[in-house]
Amino acid sequence: MAERTNSKKHYRDNFTGWLLNIPYLAYTAVFFLIPLVWAVWLSTMDWNLMSPDRTFVGIRNFTGMFANPKIIAAFFNSFRYLAPIVVLCFLFGLLLALLISNLPDRIKGVTAVLFFIPYLTSGVATSVVIRFFFSYNSAFNHFLRERFDKDISWFQNPTSAFWIIIAIIVWKMSGYYALFLLSAIESIEPEVNEAAAIDGCVGFRRLVYITLPMILPTITTVIVLASGLAFGIYTEPYLLTGGGPNNATTTWLLEIYNTSFTNFRSGEGAAMAIANAVQIFVTIQLFTFVMNKLNRKFGV
Amino acid sequence: MKRSSKIKTGILIAITAVLLVFSLFPLFYMVIQSLMPWDQVDKSMVLSHPTMKSYQYLLGSGNSSDAFMWVRSLLNSLIVSVPTAVVSVLVGLCVGYSVTKLHFRGKKIIYESLLFQMFFPGVILLVPRYILIKPLANHYLGMILPLCISTWAIFMYINYFTTLPNELFEAAKIDGLGEFGIILKIAMPMTKSVTTIVFLSMFMARWNELMWDMLVAPDIKMQTLNVLISTQFRTMGNFPGPMYAASVLLTLPIIIMFLCASKHFKEGISFMLK
Repeated sequence: MAERTNSKKHYRDNFTGWLLNIPYLAYTAVFFLIPLVWAVWLSTMDWNLMSPDRTFVGIRNFTGMFANPKIIAAFFNSFRYLAPIVVLCFLFGLLLALLISNLPDRIKGVTAVLFFIPYLTSGVATSVVIRFFFSYNSAFNHFLRERFDKDISWFQNPTSAFWIIIAIIVWKMSGYYALFLLSAIESIEPEVNEAAAIDGCVGFRRLVYITLPMILPTITTVIVLASGLAFGIYTEPYLLTGGGPNNATTTWLLEIYNTSFTNFRSGEGAAMAIANAVQIFVTIQLFTFVMNKLNRKFGV
Repeated sequence: MKRSSKIKTGILIAITAVLLVFSLFPLFYMVIQSLMPWDQVDKSMVLSHPTMKSYQYLLGSGNSSDAFMWVRSLLNSLIVSVPTAVVSVLVGLCVGYSVTKLHFRGKKIIYESLLFQMFFPGVILLVPRYILIKPLANHYLGMILPLCISTWAIFMYINYFTTLPNELFEAAKIDGLGEFGIILKIAMPMTKSVTTIVFLSMFMARWNELMWDMLVAPDIKMQTLNVLISTQFRTMGNFPGPMYAASVLLTLPIIIMFLCASKHFKEGISFMLK
């Protein structure tokens, strides 16, 4: 409150304050504001990135999307990816967190770090492993053919290709989200659990009535993070399936990349990016809204 | 310890061990296959005659057309990732410190702009950013600049600085330390754990970046290891061994870095999750 009395003191650091922010502000202007305006303008253009002539097409880039089966597929695939990724990442993350929190203190930290390692791998490296692991002559497929007489071409089948990509992402992310949930579980006061134990609330009942409600804010974080992640899938379908078979694994990013930089229809690409952003925004808002409702109802 | 709880702990450890095997299996598989003789790669899971042939191939002996392709791409990855991590740490420090500990007109706007950028779907910026950076195509600057500042990193610092008492910085000022002295002598040492996390995470994110590097640096001389693997992926389908070895080279440095720093970032991690 002492500061309040001296109003001059309030803004005493005008010079240093702005000086320290110059790099950030310059970056924001060049790599955020300008591209942002440019993107909107570009989305109304028909332009191939190189030629000097560009044509104004109004909203035709947007209306054209409805006739493009790849874009329709990308739109629906976002949700097809979203649902299993959010659910499985959360479930596996929670399972790992509960497991680790019940381990002896001595090995807790090490175990958490070991489960975190998949998060560090590049999507490119995992794609290499997965692609060769599931290739026709691999030991695994050989085994399936010899033993079970099953001959599966994993990436030609829409279902298996899709679920392989889901599995890669859940494998990679679960240990990371487990860290969030673990730290929330660990921060529950021991008294709470003791009091619950006296009331006979242990095991599964404790999980449902004590642990989950107490860590609901962190669960919200994990769900929002995982859904954001599900919208950003690119590397794995790009390397493993190219979006196929039959557009079953394609994503917005893949289609935006191909439209803008392989087919050089940058206006269309910009319009697709805006449509994608709107979809992301609406979905995340919806998730946050529902989770806040849940928080108010069951949270502590 | 009671016997029943000992048994319970034993069961838990067993379950954890099984899950760990699953979790780390792809990485083990990768390492094993990278050491496999070429006629057995992918055809066997037991490493009976380990060989370094795949790694030797990458280091030049078997690759006549462009002998230094893989080594160079590894260097490119480093050249791009180190500055990115350094810049995001420095900018995070400066913005985080100034927004939380200094009093200047407009800091609210800066804070709001950070929030806005953080939750803005970056996919919209992809095409215009590419057009903007095209003059710097196949140049390290073009690869580094657009990705070297991260609002996430800045927020890590903002959140950490708000937990540090203002008196600390006031006292330093009374002792006659200038703003830059404060940043160097007080803010930097006190934020070591956040710096470790931000540096490692930004390094990893840049190291593993694919789309931007593919766009901006299509020239094979400029490709990072991540990009080179993905461009060689299809043509090298008949030589899986070197691809596994390259993947190991791509993955191992990051894992080693995180494991080495795990002592330092423990505090940071527990803070990050708050």
